[in-house]
Amino acid sequence: MYSILAIFRAWPLWLALVLACASTYSLQAKDVAPPAGISPEKVADYVHAVLDADRTIYTNQVVNRMQAKGIVSAAEHWEQENALPLPAQFLQHSGKLVAEAGRGIRYRLISLWPVYQRNAPATDLERRALESFAQTPDRPFTGIVTSGRKQYFQAVYSDRAISAACVKCHNSHPLSPKRDFALNDVMGGMTITIPLD
Amino acid sequence: MTITSLPLSNALGWGLKRKLIVSMLLVGVVPLLLGLGMAFLQGSKEIQVVSGESFQALATEAARKLDLLVSEEVARTSRIAIHPDIVRELEHRRDLLQAPENTSARMSLAQQRARWEARDPAAVKAINENPTALLLQGFYAGSQNVPDQLLPQVVRAATKKLFVTDVQGNLFAALSAKPKFVHADSLWWKGTFNKGVGQLFIEDLHFDDDANTYVFSISLPIMDSLRYEVVGVLHRVIDAKEFFSPATHPIRFGKTGHVMLIDSRGIVLSCPILPTGVRLSDPSLIPHVTVRQPGWVTADSDGHGGQGTAIIGFAPLPETSRATNGTLEKGAWHTFVWQSSDELFAPIRHLMFWMGILALLALGLLATLGYLAASRIVTPVRRLQEAARLIGRGELREPIQIHTGDELEELAVEFNRMHAQLEAAFAGLNTQVEEKTQEVEYLQKSTDQVLDAVTTPIIMIDQQGRIQYMNRASREVLDTKESDWSARPLFDLLQIDHGHREALQRDLRLVEQGAPKESSLFDRERGPKEARDPLAPTLSHTSPSSRHELLIGTHLYHYEWFPLESRSGAGKRFGLVLRDTTDESRLQDQLIQAEKSGSLNVLTAGIGHELNNPLFGILGLGEAIQEEGDLARAKGYAQDIVGHGRKMAAIIRDFTGVAARESKNQRVPVDVTAQLEQALAIVQTSHDCLGLNVQKHYVTLPPVTALPDQLRLAFINILTNAIQAMRGRGDLWLSTEEQGGVITIKIRDNGPGIPKQHLGKVFDPFFTTKGQGEGSGLGLTVAQRLIKKFGGEIRLESPEKQGTTCVITLPADKAGVRKEEPCIPS
Repeated sequence: MYSILAIFRAWPLWLALVLACASTYSLQAKDVAPPAGISPEKVADYVHAVLDADRTIYTNQVVNRMQAKGIVSAAEHWEQENALPLPAQFLQHSGKLVAEAGRGIRYRLISLWPVYQRNAPATDLERRALESFAQTPDRPFTGIVTSGRKQYFQAVYSDRAISAACVKCHNSHPLSPKRDFALNDVMGGMTITIPLD
Repeated sequence: MTITSLPLSNALGWGLKRKLIVSMLLVGVVPLLLGLGMAFLQGSKEIQVVSGESFQALATEAARKLDLLVSEEVARTSRIAIHPDIVRELEHRRDLLQAPENTSARMSLAQQRARWEARDPAAVKAINENPTALLLQGFYAGSQNVPDQLLPQVVRAATKKLFVTDVQGNLFAALSAKPKFVHADSLWWKGTFNKGVGQLFIEDLHFDDDANTYVFSISLPIMDSLRYEVVGVLHRVIDAKEFFSPATHPIRFGKTGHVMLIDSRGIVLSCPILPTGVRLSDPSLIPHVTVRQPGWVTADSDGHGGQGTAIIGFAPLPETSRATNGTLEKGAWHTFVWQSSDELFAPIRHLMFWMGILALLALGLLATLGYLAASRIVTPVRRLQEAARLIGRGELREPIQIHTGDELEELAVEFNRMHAQLEAAFAGLNTQVEEKTQEVEYLQKSTDQVLDAVTTPIIMIDQQGRIQYMNRASREVLDTKESDWSARPLFDLLQIDHGHREALQRDLRLVEQGAPKESSLFDRERGPKEARDPLAPTLSHTSPSSRHELLIGTHLYHYEWFPLESRSGAGKRFGLVLRDTTDESRLQDQLIQAEKSGSLNVLTAGIGHELNNPLFGILGLGEAIQEEGDLARAKGYAQDIVGHGRKMAAIIRDFTGVAARESKNQRVPVDVTAQLEQALAIVQTSHDCLGLNVQKHYVTLPPVTALPDQLRLAFINILTNAIQAMRGRGDLWLSTEEQGGVITIKIRDNGPGIPKQHLGKVFDPFFTTKGQGEGSGLGLTVAQRLIKKFGGEIRLESPEKQGTTCVITLPADKAGVRKEEPCIPS
């Protein structure tokens, strides 16, 4: 809550730009900003829900079924091996596409035990968020972060091993630093970054 | 045994042995060659498959190793890119550049660029020794690294450039003064910046002028502290050969087998043989080995300039390829594993060489064994063959001794048994043959005796005309001794003139060609008949040659050829029979003379009789006229005398007609009725016919083709016979009829008839029941021959005591025109 209030106090103009219905959370903000707006938490929530649903559908209805029927399996080097992208890659690649589209919002998967170093937590917030999932895996970790003069809203959602493929790959990948994952373990988090300027 | 004495032309001995050896060799060689060929093909194929799969596995493994090498390098480099101080510096630079109010920063950037390019020491120092540059140096030298993450010496040496650009592509920090200042337009920078999102960009191999070597580069985006957007780019240029050779060059197998690294254009990044930067020698090979999946191919070239079948394993570097030129689509790196085909197929060639030598040894062994086996089989067979030959000649004295214990021994036993049976059978046969021979000799002797006893000369000749046999009569005729005639040509012996010789030879040819023998019969029949025709004109005699007659010495012979049965295979044989006709023809001539004179007597008597009556009339009337005084009566007598004279003239004319020589030999259409009437008139005049009652039943008849005089003569003879039989008194029926082109003339008398015992002889010459001087016995004979000559028939029917009927049939002349018989008196 602290972070939300901070955003609201510091960036009333941003709220005016957000198109959303009035919510009960915005009662406190009504005296400093127009009632029309949507909190970045909500935006991040929406985006995360969509991303999570998409990836779940992809994982269960595409990858798992194809593998079960023996038609095609998912592999890390899917381009070379004529396979399906891994669910994690599905998300990473869609995140890249979104970023390249220049809409501002970005998301990526991070982990304390990344296969590739580029997926390690980049900020203190990300690190703390991943560490917090050990206790409260179901609560998203949010906050404002800065890069130089730029400010961003970041929300980190815990990410679990939703299928056996995730566990198998991370436990066997030569670059993987941790190899004792189990199904439904929190393997990392999904960071959603929304610029605030 | 006389095996060696067997002629080589004998196909069995040689042939069987050779066949046995050849078939044994074939039995060995064909499977051997097939086996060798298949072994070679299968071996080559399997070597290809095995090598291909090994090469593929090796390529995959090498690809993974190189991929890890690159990945490690990227990871190592990325540690620089995420260093917080560098990120902070670049964030600051970004903020400075993007601040809308800050134009002075841009101004100073332009100045800085100009001074860098001018190598202004201050500017160089600002880039090479700013905090970021110092950090880079620290990393490069190792002081910034945690102990286990030191930049390896090889990598450090391979690194030709290491610098950082800011968010706009301008040089921000560098280790040396070599890099250019502006990079915003370069491919790697744009690829790494990637619209601010940032991505790993591994540049393909290219020649770097500054480093003077072939290099590739790793460019990493330096993200801001949130990893949100790119604030700068870390660019690192690496010497490809130096970087990869420690990894690729040690992988060697055999003398030529090695691993190399190529990019998607087929350009070599690292190879123990080819220099870095060259393209594969065979461009057509590149598409086959730069596919996205690991695999192996059998290619016609090896990419190293060698021609010939090459087996190549290949595999992409999975992770590195994803970053080459930004994405996988823009090119990938591949490992390429190859071994010289000479070396690759050397084992199978070696194997085939030794197998070939072993095969030759085996063939030699086969040939030797085949020879021995064939000898073992053929020797008893030859002995059997020799024994069979001896049996065939009847010279086998001892039983065949073969103890091979197999079918051949059984065969030898059977041969012995057969030989014994044959000998027994032959013994019986010999006695039979002796008997038969004696029989034949006896038959021949008796035939000779018979033939010698025959007075007719008989000669047998073969096809060439050489005499094979002469009987005694012929030897006498030809006046030869036995020693002379044997196998001598007949025509040398025959002392005959040229004309006869030719006729004889012609007739022989006719018989040889199987000509019918009727001609000789016909001739024999025609000859005497013509000779006996008393009234016929003297015909020009047929030449003696056409009458089958030969004059040998003083004797005239009638000859006849006849074919003889000859043995099969031998030439034809012919027999010649000579019949001495000297006496016969003399007799015939006499007979003809007699007949002629007999007929003349009859004729003379007839004429006399006919002329006597009117003559006596004339005499009587003459005497009456002498005594008659009445002139009128005398005139009447004179008139009667004229009548009698005329009658006589008519008679003479008629006889002249009968006796007239046939003016021509030509057969003409003749009116049968007229001739019959004429004949009757002649007969009546020459015989006492006072009591004769002639009854005639004539129908109109078509003419027949004949000589009219001869036909009339036939009728005269028959009528004479009938009237003589009736002794001039009785009934004589003459009738004619015609049916189906056949004219039938019946002459019937009511005389005493002909006794049965005589009926068969009446046509024989000189057969007569009349007394001496009354008849010649030739009348009916002549009549029969004449009728037959004109194609007709004559027969006598005589039921006892009921008279005789003579039935004559003649063929009607269908085409002939009925016309007046010129000989009939008007």
